[in-house]
Amino acid sequence: MNNHSKYNYIIELLNVDTIYEGESIPAIRGVNLKVKKGEFLCIIGPNGAGKTTLLETINGLLEHTEGKVNVFGKEIKRFGSSIRKEVGYVPQGFSVSSLMPFLVKDVVLMGRFGKIGLFKSASNEDYQRVKKAIELVGIDGLLKKPIGKLSGGQLQKVMITRALAKDPKILLLDEPFSSLDFKALAEISERVSSLHEEKNLTTLMVIHNIPSIPNQCRRVVLINEGVVIQDGPVDEVLNSESLKFVYEVKR
Amino acid sequence: MIILPYGIILTVIMGACLAGIACSLMGTFIVRMKLSSLGFCMSHAAFAGSALGLVLHINPLVMAILFSIAIALFLGPIVEKAKLHADIILGIMFSLMLSLGLIFLNFAPQTAMSSTAMGILWGSVLGMDTLDIINLTILTSLIIALMILFSKEFKAIMFNRKMAEASGINTKPFYYLLLFLTGITVSLSLKLVGGLLVFALIVNPTSIVCQFSYDIKKIILFSPLCGVGCCLIGILLSFLLDFPVGSSIAIFSSIFFGVAVIFSPKRRRG
Repeated sequence: MNNHSKYNYIIELLNVDTIYEGESIPAIRGVNLKVKKGEFLCIIGPNGAGKTTLLETINGLLEHTEGKVNVFGKEIKRFGSSIRKEVGYVPQGFSVSSLMPFLVKDVVLMGRFGKIGLFKSASNEDYQRVKKAIELVGIDGLLKKPIGKLSGGQLQKVMITRALAKDPKILLLDEPFSSLDFKALAEISERVSSLHEEKNLTTLMVIHNIPSIPNQCRRVVLINEGVVIQDGPVDEVLNSESLKFVYEVKR
Repeated sequence: MIILPYGIILTVIMGACLAGIACSLMGTFIVRMKLSSLGFCMSHAAFAGSALGLVLHINPLVMAILFSIAIALFLGPIVEKAKLHADIILGIMFSLMLSLGLIFLNFAPQTAMSSTAMGILWGSVLGMDTLDIINLTILTSLIIALMILFSKEFKAIMFNRKMAEASGINTKPFYYLLLFLTGITVSLSLKLVGGLLVFALIVNPTSIVCQFSYDIKKIILFSPLCGVGCCLIGILLSFLLDFPVGSSIAIFSSIFFGVAVIFSPKRRRG
């Protein structure tokens, strides 16, 4: 990813549909989304609205069926793996078997494996990045534990650490606070926000609990039934009729 | 107890050690990636392939490799995208491949139920020759070399394939490399344990070691040792009790697994 300056938008979705295999109705449809480098954007919407599909379409884990998805000015369909080396991703509700034979320290280091590349082993720099991420999220005490023995909140912290260990240029967080207690939520939200500020890290966060939207977030995308209903400044979207409509209908 | 010449015993021991290492190394991936049903189908496809080889007077080993790789290429994408539940694949393909194998054996007039045919079914460790040992040595070395060369990628895929993909690893070539290696491993191990039981040698040693560790590095290191141990003790039992070698290995490793489950610290409180 050396040609970052050649694009206007770090993420650009043009009229994008994504249909899951075996389905006929797109999980997201006609999505247009342009994100500038360094933006902090939150994606909100009711359950099943297509928020996770949108995130996984952006990083190419789900292949879009219509339209165009460009990240760093490159087509995700063609350059998926090399793009993902620069994109940190924390999935929603990630779980592992209690017998999973991996230690936390190994799982965190794995976040950098794509970036390290083929035929190479982790260097001192890789271990330094991992150490920084561990200190940032505060999981020092968990490193030698089996990953399957962690609580939901601890596992979520590990997955956040793994994403940050990559030193990503884009951070995609899918409901990263859902399993965290209030204190951990406040701490990690503050650390992710400060990381965004320090490194001008482009951050897209799917969030369910609207009051948890971090202060650094300047833009909110409201999505419902796979369609972007509203996209604009936080206050505007949160006070809009669309928001009330979307959630009232669901209620 | 049967008394055998030193040369044959050495061949048997080397074959057992090499097959034990190769099968249990592949087993660490098969078990972790929940590809057991696919591997099980591949082992029975290898059996069907070698039986067809007997009918057509083509080298059974070549046919076994072709059949198991064909199954991997056919079922791989289906399992990969979880389009079919593993139980369904197992139920249909296991019975299909076993039936095909038995039909092929029936069509081989001179060989049906002969020692060659029975060797494919249950293994014929005494039929192992220098070429088998050379093949197994090359395969085992190749597996070890690839595991060292791509240890990062394989570990990441074993943890979670989707997250490996998210970290920027193109997992598809590694997934198919694993299936390809499993196909060859299964085929080359047929002579030792036979088509019906080769899968025990893939699954059991790793499953035993998994009872004692949460560290994948230790599991990858100790699974081959356990595989070799199961093979050697199985062969010893088969010589002592005059049992088929494959059955002895499968029975011993299954008992060992049962004991491992009972004494596993993973199930202990406090």
